[in-house]
Amino acid sequence: MLRVKLRPSARDHGGPRAIPVAEGAAPPQAFRAAAEAARFTGAAGQVLDLPTPGGRVLLVGAGRPRRMLNWEMAGGTAAAGAGRVKRLTIDAGGLAPEAAAALAAGACLRAWRFDACRRREEPAPEALDLVVDSPAAVAPCWERAAAAVRGCLFARDLTAEPGNRLTTRDFAARLEALAEHGIAVDVLGRKRLARAGLGALLAVGGGSANPPRLAVLRWRGSHAAPPIAFIGKGICFDTGGISIKPAQGMEAMRADMAGAAACAGAMLALALRHSPAPAVAVLALAENAIGAAAYRPGDVLRTGAGRTVEVVDTDAEGRLVLADALHYAQRFRPAAMLDLATLTGAIVTALGTHRAGLFGTDAALLAQVAAAGEAVGEQLWPMPIGERHRAELKSDIADLKQCVPTGGEGGRFLPDACHAAAFLREFVGATPWVHLDIAGLGTRAAPWALGPKGPSGFGARLLDALVAQSFEDPDRH
Amino acid sequence: MLDIAFVKPVLPRHGALVLPLVEGSGPEGMNELAGLAQAVDAASGGAVARALAAASFKGRKGQSCTIWAPALEGGASGPSRIVAIGLGKAAELTPEGLEAAGAAALPLVNGEREAVIAAETLAAPQAAAFALGLLLKSYRFDRYRTTEKEEDKPKLERVEVATDATTAAKTAWAPMRAVAEGVFLSRDLVSEPPNILHPEEMAERCQELEKLGLTVEVLGPKEMKKLGMGALLGVAQGSAREPRIVVMQWLGATGNGGKGKKAATKPLAFIGKGVTFDTGGISIKPAAGMEDMKWDMAGAGAVIGLMAALAGRRARVDAVGLVGLVENMPSGDAQRPGDVVKTASGQTVEVINTDAEGRLVLADVIHYCQQRFEPRFMIDLATLTGAIIISLGHEHAGLFSNDDALAQQITAAGKAVGEACWRMPLGEAYDKQLKSDIADMKNVGGRPGGSITAAQFIQRFVNTKNGPMQAPTPWAHLDIAGVAWSSKDLPTVPKGATAFGVRLLDRLVADHYEG
Repeated sequence: MLRVKLRPSARDHGGPRAIPVAEGAAPPQAFRAAAEAARFTGAAGQVLDLPTPGGRVLLVGAGRPRRMLNWEMAGGTAAAGAGRVKRLTIDAGGLAPEAAAALAAGACLRAWRFDACRRREEPAPEALDLVVDSPAAVAPCWERAAAAVRGCLFARDLTAEPGNRLTTRDFAARLEALAEHGIAVDVLGRKRLARAGLGALLAVGGGSANPPRLAVLRWRGSHAAPPIAFIGKGICFDTGGISIKPAQGMEAMRADMAGAAACAGAMLALALRHSPAPAVAVLALAENAIGAAAYRPGDVLRTGAGRTVEVVDTDAEGRLVLADALHYAQRFRPAAMLDLATLTGAIVTALGTHRAGLFGTDAALLAQVAAAGEAVGEQLWPMPIGERHRAELKSDIADLKQCVPTGGEGGRFLPDACHAAAFLREFVGATPWVHLDIAGLGTRAAPWALGPKGPSGFGARLLDALVAQSFEDPDRH
Repeated sequence: MLDIAFVKPVLPRHGALVLPLVEGSGPEGMNELAGLAQAVDAASGGAVARALAAASFKGRKGQSCTIWAPALEGGASGPSRIVAIGLGKAAELTPEGLEAAGAAALPLVNGEREAVIAAETLAAPQAAAFALGLLLKSYRFDRYRTTEKEEDKPKLERVEVATDATTAAKTAWAPMRAVAEGVFLSRDLVSEPPNILHPEEMAERCQELEKLGLTVEVLGPKEMKKLGMGALLGVAQGSAREPRIVVMQWLGATGNGGKGKKAATKPLAFIGKGVTFDTGGISIKPAAGMEDMKWDMAGAGAVIGLMAALAGRRARVDAVGLVGLVENMPSGDAQRPGDVVKTASGQTVEVINTDAEGRLVLADVIHYCQQRFEPRFMIDLATLTGAIIISLGHEHAGLFSNDDALAQQITAAGKAVGEACWRMPLGEAYDKQLKSDIADMKNVGGRPGGSITAAQFIQRFVNTKNGPMQAPTPWAHLDIAGVAWSSKDLPTVPKGATAFGVRLLDRLVADHYEG
């Protein structure tokens, strides 16, 4: 992440200086003629790169900023416009402290790169000078914003890692390192998973040389309240198992742990900003591999909840590991459970790559989650769990089927995202629950305002915002 | 169609006697029998009550019990079967529940020519709802069965609903019957095979609706060419069958069926996709399941059924129904992927996939509808995308709209009649997926969000600036690909064509746009 310095005035460090300009507002006098000539209007996303005797100046369109998200996007546009430079200055003079912090947050998100696997050949952005009227006034805002940014970037770092570098063990080790921020981390290995009866997670992880893990992260907070629980799908690599995926595009399956990564990122954010709200994350880590001990279509598994499940397609493994994780999370008596998972291709067909699927059982919680998503630009859309979706999961041999076979009575087109949500609902008991199917959003196919192409960290900032907006009131019950 | 009458209660001497019974606090968990139920029980010396108790019948929702020809005192002749149907708790009765109960009775009495429903304990609208469910369930499409044995055919011809409030029940029933006729018409059209029901034939069947007081016009290829409908004509050009657009007008707002009135004023507009068979064209579909594509005209089928319902019940509203009828065939003349067509609105479309033809048809019909009628709102129905089935399954139609109030009205109307809709998103980000390198837009936006990009495509043909307020025409699009046809029996819908949309839109009109 960029090193951010709050400064009362600009320092010449040879890097460009970005000046955000709202749509319709006049740019600084010196650049007005240039702006007019280049038809720079301040519309969101516009950048005007001006060489001046004092160095490069970037006029950055901020659009009509109504929300902090617009300032974040302007910050992102500044970082993208600056290109490969080591240092960047953003001029936030005259802006409210929250807006200034949002500019920095956006720049940090957009400037993120994943260089762990290559030799660095070009300079990468390292530092950001944020010029503000009062560094003391901006500092607390920035601290809060930076926590969410670091959480998001942690999630991206994890998601970007290839399957051979981030095995279940590596993932667990990276999570254990969060202890330095005051997060208690407990990682369950095979023996303890067996003792807890988490047969679904064990089965999914059974085909791999890398054993399954259940990572439990706890943030105490300061309120004596039941925690909010985040449950994440952490399939470090998903071959599909015996129901193997087509070769084309399979490399993307290294990111099939984006849900777990987002939950971990949210926990980091809460810890970094010392959130008073207690939280727990239960992350199901497994590699869905093909092996002699792999589980098969037709297998019947006994889940932690005691329910038996008939396996139809070993590539619908996410809902199986989540079933056990959702069950396990209930031992913390959470106030609410939210699970995040790159779960189904069907949700991509349904909502594309601009909105994630929002399912759940509790209208109030659903509304809170949707609002948090809007606030951070991680948009959701409510989706149904119908009676028929549940009915179609009836099994001839077990308590329920994991999914509906293609081409059977269900027909050629299966509402698999709804089926998956109906399946998960069987494992949440009476706890208010929300499920986010983020299959279309975990990885971006093209650069966007708040990040480059690649892992988006979708969900980490959303969960952090949800806690901030709805779970930090000490009188909440 | 079954003959349904509302009569004063008299114990029948033959046929079936249907007893709709609520769950209650009486002995055995049932209410005391009343009316005809009580009468037949008394005549049988209490045998009916004993039989129900022996069968553990308590009037619960979904329960039923058949008692065969109970002996009546004095050897009097009586019903040859008594069918008790559970309604659930009296306080929880809903129209939908009563319809389902009525529908559940149908197969149990179908072996008799006549049935009497003992509905004295139900209010008049409740009795009518029970009868409606039974009627809707009785639909059969057997036009092409020639070897069915007589004993396998349903026998039921006449149903008498016994009630003390015959006048009130008849008043409640009249509009319901008209809507049921619309539903049956729609199911007939959707069930017809594609060699019989091609665009010309479908247009002719629309013209028969003039007897209900509808004004019906038919446009052929010549008129379409004049109107510049290059998108619709492009779809149709591969077929030996000519395309048609049918414009149906119901001028009921004045209350006299439009006598002396020439044109609708600010009407409600309903637009249906009517692809009488969809092979996919050059982008041909896989063979498995292609026979289902005879119902790719279900949107048009619903609009036609709706117009018949509105006219049949003399709805006090001005409404227009427009259907675009084409057959999508591959041939030497067929449209190719890569073709660029010019729509009636002037916008050009690059045809990427000839199997995304429904939106091309709708684009031209919607534009024409707006130019000609300046409607108060437009609702289009189309079996548009497989993606909506992958999104929602078969319980909800996908609802897209540029108007929150209209969307809420549609959702509520659908809920009331058991035709559920689920709102889906629209947005600029999705619209961008339609960008073309050569034309104003492509006709597909890729797999992600496939139903949404289809809706975005249609929205590009909805006027955005109307009148002094410069507001867009309120518009809603119902993607009914998952709900137009049912692979299994539903409570009031036999397996097959559902006529989804007829009851929903009739209800929408009745609740918000009449009077």
